[in-house]
Amino acid sequence: MSGRRVAQPGIAVVGVAFGLLAYRVQVDNLPLTTSLRAAATVVAAWSFLVAGLIAWARQPWNRLGPLMLATCFALLARQLRYSHDALAFTVFFLLGEIGYALVAHVALAYPSGQVVDRLERAFLWVAYGIAIAFPFAILLVYDETRHLRFLDPLPRESLLQVSPHPRLVDALQDAFGVLAYGVLAAAFVLLVVRKLVTATPRTRRVLRPLLLAAIAAALWAVLNGILTFATSPPAFMNDLFWWQILSLTALPLALLWGMLRARLARVHVGELVVHLEQSSPGELRDELARALEDPSLEVAFWLPERGEFVDASGRTFEVPEDGPTRTVTRLEQDDEPLAILVHDPSLRNEPKLVEAVAATARLALQNARLHAEVSAQLEKVKESRTRIVSAADEERRRIERDIHDGAQQRLVALALELRSAQRKLGSELDRELEGLLASAADELQVAVDELRELAQGIHPGVLVQGGLGAALEELAGRSPIPVSVESTEERFAPEIEGTAYFVASEGLTNVVKHAGATRASIRAQRRNGTLVVEVEDDGVGGASMANGSGLRGLADRVEARGGRLRVTSVGGAGTRLVGEIPCAS
Amino acid sequence: MRVVIADDSVLLREGLARVLRDGGFDVVAQAADADELRQAVRRFKPDIAIVDVRMPPTHTDEGARAAVEIRETQPEVAVLVLSQVIEAAHAMRLFSERPEGFGYLLKDRVLEIDDFLESVRRVARGGTAIDPEVIGQLVGRRHNSGPLEDLTPREREVLELMAQGLSNRGICQKLVVSPKTVETHVNSIFLKLGLMPAPDEHRRVLAVLAYLRS
Repeated sequence: MSGRRVAQPGIAVVGVAFGLLAYRVQVDNLPLTTSLRAAATVVAAWSFLVAGLIAWARQPWNRLGPLMLATCFALLARQLRYSHDALAFTVFFLLGEIGYALVAHVALAYPSGQVVDRLERAFLWVAYGIAIAFPFAILLVYDETRHLRFLDPLPRESLLQVSPHPRLVDALQDAFGVLAYGVLAAAFVLLVVRKLVTATPRTRRVLRPLLLAAIAAALWAVLNGILTFATSPPAFMNDLFWWQILSLTALPLALLWGMLRARLARVHVGELVVHLEQSSPGELRDELARALEDPSLEVAFWLPERGEFVDASGRTFEVPEDGPTRTVTRLEQDDEPLAILVHDPSLRNEPKLVEAVAATARLALQNARLHAEVSAQLEKVKESRTRIVSAADEERRRIERDIHDGAQQRLVALALELRSAQRKLGSELDRELEGLLASAADELQVAVDELRELAQGIHPGVLVQGGLGAALEELAGRSPIPVSVESTEERFAPEIEGTAYFVASEGLTNVVKHAGATRASIRAQRRNGTLVVEVEDDGVGGASMANGSGLRGLADRVEARGGRLRVTSVGGAGTRLVGEIPCAS
Repeated sequence: MRVVIADDSVLLREGLARVLRDGGFDVVAQAADADELRQAVRRFKPDIAIVDVRMPPTHTDEGARAAVEIRETQPEVAVLVLSQVIEAAHAMRLFSERPEGFGYLLKDRVLEIDDFLESVRRVARGGTAIDPEVIGQLVGRRHNSGPLEDLTPREREVLELMAQGLSNRGICQKLVVSPKTVETHVNSIFLKLGLMPAPDEHRRVLAVLAYLRS
């Protein structure tokens, strides 16, 4: 930390001095160049110095700052190779090409400072390799009579020279021109385009300015590479210089803009404070998404007793792996997990923003977590209620089936045997024995009838066989008062039909018992994904959920299916019972 | 007359078979589920199949569905459906628009052996047998409404027997009255309900049931 504090002003001073030296060297050694151009190259390099220092100060952990500073020095070093001093020429000619490789490195490492993609890493290794290997090789075989590209024709001295080899110098220069300015620059453009295309929307927004500048710089390199091979350079060759300077300078400016943007985003945090005051726990996610400028944001809360994360409505939330499309930020409180934010990976580079948003929303998050906890419990209770009612229904069905298919069948069979015996032996038996047989058979028949009634009361077999419409008809047919039935013939899931049937049968029982009605009507219709059952009578009214009458229990059954039960009953004006049961599809 | 019986209860099946044999029927096959029933009917081409509505595996309405299928694919085979519960709308759906050779009775009716044998014979001959309870439900639904009110209690009785599929002779025996009296009642009923006199008993059942269902 303190080392960096000391180092930064030092680097700034050295950078400025190095820049002035580069200006001097160009003006002294390149008779064709103007002082304006010389100054422009230095300013372009300094823009990396400035941006690098700011980035380093802001994000000391991010390698982008040092990388930009290195780029500045490498770009200046490129200008120093014009020196006719043997040592300066040798050293700076050797280092002169690294600058552009560093520019590519900066572009690919933005904004995290790291190059993760294997293809991009491989590209950089090759670029650095070529940028060092070729100048080194040229210095080994340097020949005073050969003109080095971009340099003035005056002879220089290579301290690394082993044996001069003019042809080889030319060949190496050509090969380098094709490789570095043709192949590598074009590959770089493709890599950057790929990066933009595959990025998530938020990442793309962050990357776009810098990568567009990088593409512009690379296209300059490609064009420049082609034109150096032209026998007579076109007139606009001179203007290409300014393209290069502008695109190179735009790169650090885009980086600074990105940092400024991230700072601006923190303005949203202020708005967040105001909005959270007025929003409900359910809106928390939307508020956070706005503050983080990430519409894809997901928020999940830690429920300690369940040991898992849940969403706002209390359902289990699957925490995704950190990946190229999603990043997970964990928020803690007192060393306990509080919540997680699943967001766009580009936010990884703006930890300050995420921190600020999380700190601001901490209270709201706790609140929302409690809310989610209650929702989760409610959800559980609802599920268990549904299960209990389902189990009871299933049990009723089973008992009804057991009676019908078991006991009743046996009794009927037994009665049948008695009747057969009675018929066969009728003439041979004395009256007393025959009477005994007959009354036994009659008794059995009564038992069968009673058993059927009992089973019917437990669960109407008709419901299973003929559906709701049929069962309601049957119900109305058994009623002591006239009941009109208007029902859909549609079949529903057994539990839905069962619930609807019990609304009607319980309603009708109440009508007969309490209402003193002369007639009643039952309606069952599907309306927008809901099965609506209505029982209406013209009786004395006055029924309510509160005064017992089994309506409370019925309401529980209906609510267990996610529906609701309403009673409208005005004294003297009849009663209307409406059950609404959701029936999906 | 050749009969196939389908019921998953062996006890009841055997009892039924004995009663039918004693009644002069030839029980050619017994089936324990709907598949066996279909096979037996295809193989033996009986005059009548007596089918329990509920059979394995789901014990809901396999028997009824098999009955409908048989009526469609082999109309020459009469079908008598036995049900543990009586439910008019379901019965009417099975009945469709073709009363010939179709019966729908509450299972317990087998205990009234003579009536039951008579129903089986009637259906096997192409007649109709609808359970009194079904008719009761159909009539009951129309409590105190319209022309049914105008019928005398006796006429109402006759109407219900007609709806069950009984012939005039059957009604005579049941009510212990003369054929002439029955005929008078029948004519009176048709007049009061505004129905066209039907030329034969099949159409008569159809007309009466259609009236009751409307």
